[in-house]
Amino acid sequence: MEQRLQELRTSAMERLERAASEEELRALEREFVGKEGSVSALLAAIPTLSPQERPIIGKGANVLKRDIVAELERKKAEFEAAAVEAQRAGSDFDPTLPGAPQVRGSLHPLTLVRREVEAIFVSMGYSVLDGPEVELDYYNFQALNIPADHPAREMQDTFYCDREGKLVMRTQTSPVQIRAMETLAPPFRVLVPGRVFRNEEPDATHEHTFHQVEGLVVGEDITVGHLSGVLKGFLRELFQKEIEVRLRPGYFPFVEPGFELDVRCPFCEAGCRVCKSTRWIEFCGCGMVHPAVLDAGGIDPEAWTGFAFGFGLDRLVMLRYGIDDLRHFMAGDLRFLEQF
Amino acid sequence: MLVSYRWLQRHVDLTGISPQQIALDLTLSTAEVEGVEAFLPHLAQVTVGAVKARGPHPDADKLSVCTVDIGAGNDLQIVCGAPNVAAGQKVAVATVGTVLPGDFKLKKSKIRGVESMGMICSVRELDLGDEHDGIWVLPAAAEVGRPVSAALDLEDWILEIDNKSITHRPDLWGQRGIAGELAAIYGRELRPLDLSLPATGAAPGVPVRIEDPACSRYVALAIDGVRGGKSPDWLRHLLLAVGQRPLDLLVDISNFVMLDLGQPNHLFDRRRLAAGGITVRMARAGESLQTLDGEERKLGTSDLLICSGDEPVALAGIMGGEGSKVGQDTSQLLLEVAAFDAVTIRRSAARIGLRTDASTRFEKSLDPGLPLAAAAHLVRTLREIQPQIVLPSPPTDAGDWTDPSLRLELRGERVRKLLGLPDLADEAIATLLRKLHFGVELSGGVLRVAVPANRATKDVRIEQDLVEEVGRLYRYDNVPERRLSAEITPPPFDERRALTERIRDRLSGGAAFHEVLTYSFVAGALLEKLGALDREYVQIVNPVVAGEDRVRRSLVPCLLALLEKNRRHHGDVRLFEIGKGYLGEERDERGLPRELHELALVWTRPAPDRKASFDAGLFPQLRGVLEDLLGALGFDAPDWGLPPAEPALEPWYHPGETLVGAWPDREDPSRRRSPLVLGRLDPGLHRPLGLVQELAGEVVIAQLSIDGLLASRRRAFGYRPLPRFPGNKVDVALAVPTGVLAGELVRAIEAAGKGQVRSVELFDLYTGSGIAEGRKSLAFHVLLQSDQKTLTDADAAKFIQRLERAAAELGGELRSE
Repeated sequence: MEQRLQELRTSAMERLERAASEEELRALEREFVGKEGSVSALLAAIPTLSPQERPIIGKGANVLKRDIVAELERKKAEFEAAAVEAQRAGSDFDPTLPGAPQVRGSLHPLTLVRREVEAIFVSMGYSVLDGPEVELDYYNFQALNIPADHPAREMQDTFYCDREGKLVMRTQTSPVQIRAMETLAPPFRVLVPGRVFRNEEPDATHEHTFHQVEGLVVGEDITVGHLSGVLKGFLRELFQKEIEVRLRPGYFPFVEPGFELDVRCPFCEAGCRVCKSTRWIEFCGCGMVHPAVLDAGGIDPEAWTGFAFGFGLDRLVMLRYGIDDLRHFMAGDLRFLEQF
Repeated sequence: MLVSYRWLQRHVDLTGISPQQIALDLTLSTAEVEGVEAFLPHLAQVTVGAVKARGPHPDADKLSVCTVDIGAGNDLQIVCGAPNVAAGQKVAVATVGTVLPGDFKLKKSKIRGVESMGMICSVRELDLGDEHDGIWVLPAAAEVGRPVSAALDLEDWILEIDNKSITHRPDLWGQRGIAGELAAIYGRELRPLDLSLPATGAAPGVPVRIEDPACSRYVALAIDGVRGGKSPDWLRHLLLAVGQRPLDLLVDISNFVMLDLGQPNHLFDRRRLAAGGITVRMARAGESLQTLDGEERKLGTSDLLICSGDEPVALAGIMGGEGSKVGQDTSQLLLEVAAFDAVTIRRSAARIGLRTDASTRFEKSLDPGLPLAAAAHLVRTLREIQPQIVLPSPPTDAGDWTDPSLRLELRGERVRKLLGLPDLADEAIATLLRKLHFGVELSGGVLRVAVPANRATKDVRIEQDLVEEVGRLYRYDNVPERRLSAEITPPPFDERRALTERIRDRLSGGAAFHEVLTYSFVAGALLEKLGALDREYVQIVNPVVAGEDRVRRSLVPCLLALLEKNRRHHGDVRLFEIGKGYLGEERDERGLPRELHELALVWTRPAPDRKASFDAGLFPQLRGVLEDLLGALGFDAPDWGLPPAEPALEPWYHPGETLVGAWPDREDPSRRRSPLVLGRLDPGLHRPLGLVQELAGEVVIAQLSIDGLLASRRRAFGYRPLPRFPGNKVDVALAVPTGVLAGELVRAIEAAGKGQVRSVELFDLYTGSGIAEGRKSLAFHVLLQSDQKTLTDADAAKFIQRLERAAAELGGELRSE
């Protein structure tokens, strides 16, 4: 019996040593230490042995089983390590295999840039307001100090929704200034992004439907200095660099004094197509709120002052992405939209 | 408007200030200067030459060969075709390499075998006028070898002012107005201009009758002894510099006064006027007038006319008439300088479609005090050129006008407060205003300001307008920037804004929808195609695209209209838009139509060729997108149901394959809100929308009323503990009669699970081989799970048994795996 044990050990160890694959190992495992394996058979036969042999053979068989199992594990680990090594050395990797296309949607570039703008102003304590696109003449013109015979009210500029001229497609986001004054108690800071309409034939740089961002701040002792400070701060955040601005006189009936704000061209050092080589880009109209407008909004112009500004969002988007044709924005063409 | 540096210098000394500097300072204090350009820059390259000899061309009768001295001992041989060239003349020579107007670069050339080293130029070739019947013969004093621009004193710079930036400044529509600004900016004197009328004779003046208040003043002045002819060079060159083609002296003088002072005026040939004098009246219906551009203008009753007697002779403030225009033989003039109502002139010019330099100025609200001064300016300028002219009678000055000049009180404190300049003293404010030609008296903390008439017609009416005057001359770029500081309360939560932004993110993410923006206007033709034309729309009176005159009620028609063109490039087209619609029939007390905030989605793709794997179609796909979206927004899955009879379904939906999603009202859960509609496109609309043949496919549509959703009850969000026991996944397939709905099977599965069904997912829907006629097979993944114990195979078997019975009750059976 002892000899049989010895033979078994010799043969198991030899064959384990020679095993060349995990599959072979699994076969050897079955053959020696599996349920029906020869070491298991030996252990099963122990009760039939003489009492003298039992402990010797029992111990011997268990030691043998343990050694075989240990050797199996060692060989398995060896094979695994070799397999990992083989994978590392792997050879058929094609570094140019294209990425699998993912189905995804997109947000309109006007939404993307509007969100950036809103986030900056919200962080400065502004509320974002909305207002009607079909608007009363009163809010769009009259309350904004634009009298009935003002050229802006002619049919070639304004879409009218009735013959009496009481209802218009708003030509600016400024009517929301009045709406804000009617509902909010000063001091307040509001931002109004929105769609506006002008009766214009669309071409690469004109649209009858476009998007503005209006800002209005009313408070005690609001000054011209605040206006340039706020807009400069906004532009710094938007372009992520210090931007030089300049205020120059500009005429809008609802502000006094009124300004145009120019931005030092962020795209060039010495003149480019965007700034038409002037190094300045006209960015927005702005000014101190006209006392007649504060009055119309029910705010005492002696007690409160304010500034307002308005700029075109479409233009900002065009600058941001280098888009050369405004008409893409409203055309709903996926070939354009899916780029964003 | 173009401004000439040389012209400005007639009014203000600009020594030492470059045109570029002026452009910058005007931009920062007054009006935007869009460009600065040298006047006729090619004249700096063209040289004064002296024709030493003119000989015949050996080979051409009409050509001559000239020897021209261009200075520094250079004689050039030039072939010239002009008949008037002669030895001894001073001429303008463009040498080889010179670039003339029209991008014409001179080259050395051989003309009929004779070498020519340049060109002797005509007036027209140098862009100095229309004359082209011969070469330009320069004054004998012109110095040979010098550039023509220098020798003839033609150097000038042109500044282009953005007209939009001076619409509110009637005083800036003349060179003197701009000069006045520069005088203020640079602290220099505005040269005085004698605007008094020279002595006149005592003959009776021309009678003037004003019948309409749109003319507030009419100055008529007879001028005799006038001779027609060409204007002197200085006048021609100034006019050319500001883009006004010189014509003959009388027209040029009239233009000069308008361009100098900003006051339009008109010269009639007095002999062609009737004796009855001038009448200013509105046109009568059916009247017409041939204007001096030769066009016959049909007039309306809101067009103001100047009449001689009753005969129209000019369109007031716009253009004179052909019949009474001045010509070469005119010797007796009637000068008109008037004040017209700005709006009348603007509307009339727009209606007739004739905007002129005159109407552009009148529509800015000119100072009615100006006409007499402008008349004097014209007479004095003309007399310098033609000293023989006489004024037979005093001017007729008719009309009922008031001097617009006014006095305002300005508080120094107001200036400091609005501009943010706490240290700006009253005295400094007064100095700035005086530079701008305001009269100022200081009294306590108040400045009493006299606003001159030419500023008071429109731009300077209230105290705050004066603040602007101070600010712009102080210069806004000198105002220190300040940060806003105030107590900030967080803005009130805007639920609609938060919701719409989350919708955008969710849909553009995993759901792979593309956000579009479409016009608010819809074409009637599209609405008619969709069967939606009979609703009440807010209608545009003056659409920019004919027919696109309705303001949309819903975004869906606009999205449907995008499908065809997108399907040409894309198989799968998923679009959404969040926007506003307006209901014409529902108006508030002020007349505003009701505004709807809507999310609209459309999805189309070609019908799959062959079902590689299970695909229930776009309807359940979009339903899944919506349920996922609403879940993410904090709502339970809606209670889906067939649409009620009222309100009627939008006509683009398939009447039988459309669902409405409902939730309990947020405030009153007993009420139901149905803000969601999901349906297939009506099968009759595929063809009208161009979705046939290679573009054919399934189309599904959904609309969500944002306001309706906001008024619906949100899910009471709570946390569900993680399962303590493993679940048991069972797949079941049920073959049932075709009429049995998937929902019934889901309910049967849930019932059979006795509270242990955690999820049911349809993964196959099948008819065909192996399934009897009139039956279909639906297969589900079912997850069974208990809170109390680990479910065993025996538990699953019991579930299957119960489900078998339930299937039988529905007329079907459980299919073995």
